[in-house]
Amino acid sequence: MTGPEAGALRIMISILGIKRVFPPTSKRSTSVVALNGVNAEVFEEEIVGLLGPSGCGKTTLLNLIAGFDRQNEGKIIVAGRQVERPGPDRMMVFQFPALFAWLTVWRNVIFGPQERGENPREYEPRARGLLEAVGLKGREHDYPYQLSGGMKQRVQLARALLNRPEVLLMDEPFGALDSQTRSQMQELLLEVWGLYHPTILLVTHDAEEALFLCHRIYVMGCNGGIRETIPVPFSFPRKFDLIGTTEFARLKYNLLSALRSEEERPECPRQLGDKFTQD
Amino acid sequence: MTRPLKNLSGQATYSLISWATVAAILLLWYFATAGGLVSAFILPSPSNLWAEFRELVLKGYAGKTLTDHILASLFRTFTGLGLGIAIGVPVGLLMGSSRVANAILGPIFSFLRPIPPIAFIPLMILYFGIGEFSKIALIFLAALYYVVLNTSAGVRTVPQDLVRAGQNMGLTRVRLFSKVVFWAALPHIMTGVKTATAISWAIVVAAELIAAQAGLGFMVMDATTFFRVPNVYIGIIIIGLIGVTLEVITLAIDRRLLHWMGK
Repeated sequence: MTGPEAGALRIMISILGIKRVFPPTSKRSTSVVALNGVNAEVFEEEIVGLLGPSGCGKTTLLNLIAGFDRQNEGKIIVAGRQVERPGPDRMMVFQFPALFAWLTVWRNVIFGPQERGENPREYEPRARGLLEAVGLKGREHDYPYQLSGGMKQRVQLARALLNRPEVLLMDEPFGALDSQTRSQMQELLLEVWGLYHPTILLVTHDAEEALFLCHRIYVMGCNGGIRETIPVPFSFPRKFDLIGTTEFARLKYNLLSALRSEEERPECPRQLGDKFTQD
Repeated sequence: MTRPLKNLSGQATYSLISWATVAAILLLWYFATAGGLVSAFILPSPSNLWAEFRELVLKGYAGKTLTDHILASLFRTFTGLGLGIAIGVPVGLLMGSSRVANAILGPIFSFLRPIPPIAFIPLMILYFGIGEFSKIALIFLAALYYVVLNTSAGVRTVPQDLVRAGQNMGLTRVRLFSKVVFWAALPHIMTGVKTATAISWAIVVAAELIAAQAGLGFMVMDATTFFRVPNVYIGIIIIGLIGVTLEVITLAIDRRLLHWMGK
């Protein structure tokens, strides 16, 4: 039960020998090796977590897949095509909802297909369906300032999915929300996954979130590589109650122990924080 | 809080206090002039000023009607301001988005930054004489400066994720600029426009004080020279009222354009 369904599944993301070195930002600093020889893959319809201590290059990897940044070595292939630049086949869901404040919820959601000149009769019914799926029916004419943090993330999710991406890239999408909203959003994401079955690569530093949402978890190390691959054995659909089971608690303990030992390694540059991975 | 104000909301109470201040000043003015406390030459009484105002409306000043003077000042302001905005916004957008453009134009604006625009009035007169052109040119330069600086700062502070979200959905460079960057920078652009409007009005009056044959600034200066003190006061009051009106108008435009900020 590690993959979404049994049988041979298409590899949607192949990450092959990725190295990313950030040049020194000033004369006194040295260059930072954010990623060093990362190999990973994500299968079709799979939810994969990227878990690791802060500063380990999770976001850097996501930015490379999105095409916002270029690696120094290696290549990334998404749905058979090598990543060169940003594109709607790889939609990013940002940690701080990057909504267009001057557009209504509806105009935000349809922005991508509208700008690419696609047929409204094709995307408008889908947009309505997506807004209903994320629980925003009736809020179409609101502006982002009228929405709560959780609702903004729902808009981002609907906007991303309307572009029919091959993969959904999520950068700690619920990290800025309060714990109750976060828990609701996690369940919502699973519901949406149940409807649309998107392939998701999810960056998180929350072990519980990774276990609850993912089919598989990559634990990243401080050396800029992947330390461990952990299959999550729970079947879908998952409900909130799962978090209370002893099996969940045992796995969470194992995962946290792995993270802890990772953070205690001497090469772990804890003082660097996330700032090198952000830009 | 005192008893009569008890039922009023906080806002109403404060605006009542403000109106009371206005009434107190008018009363003080009335009694000071009526009681002969200050000479009527230095400060005319309210009734005297009102009579002079009516005469000014009927007879005009220096061969031109009061409306002519007001329109002369407004024409210079709006022409210079309009040109400043029309050219300043594109230049600011360019400087904010292109490092090369910023490197070329940056030093010019850095040099201008600490110089009050009024300091250029004599130079403008030397270059272009005392006609319309020198005043409009000066207002244009001042407006351009404020609009360019705010616009380029606005473009530079557009959140990176917003640009990336646009790129992510496959926008071309031009569309990304017109559909995302411009809108995200609009609050800053409007700050520049509001500042430029206020500054323009101040500059037109200053320029007219120094050299002009028409306009409110000219009227105030000319009336001072000929000791027509009531006209000086009337001119100053009209300048103030128009200044307030301009502020109200730009604020209304600002609210309309930026209603999505939820303020």
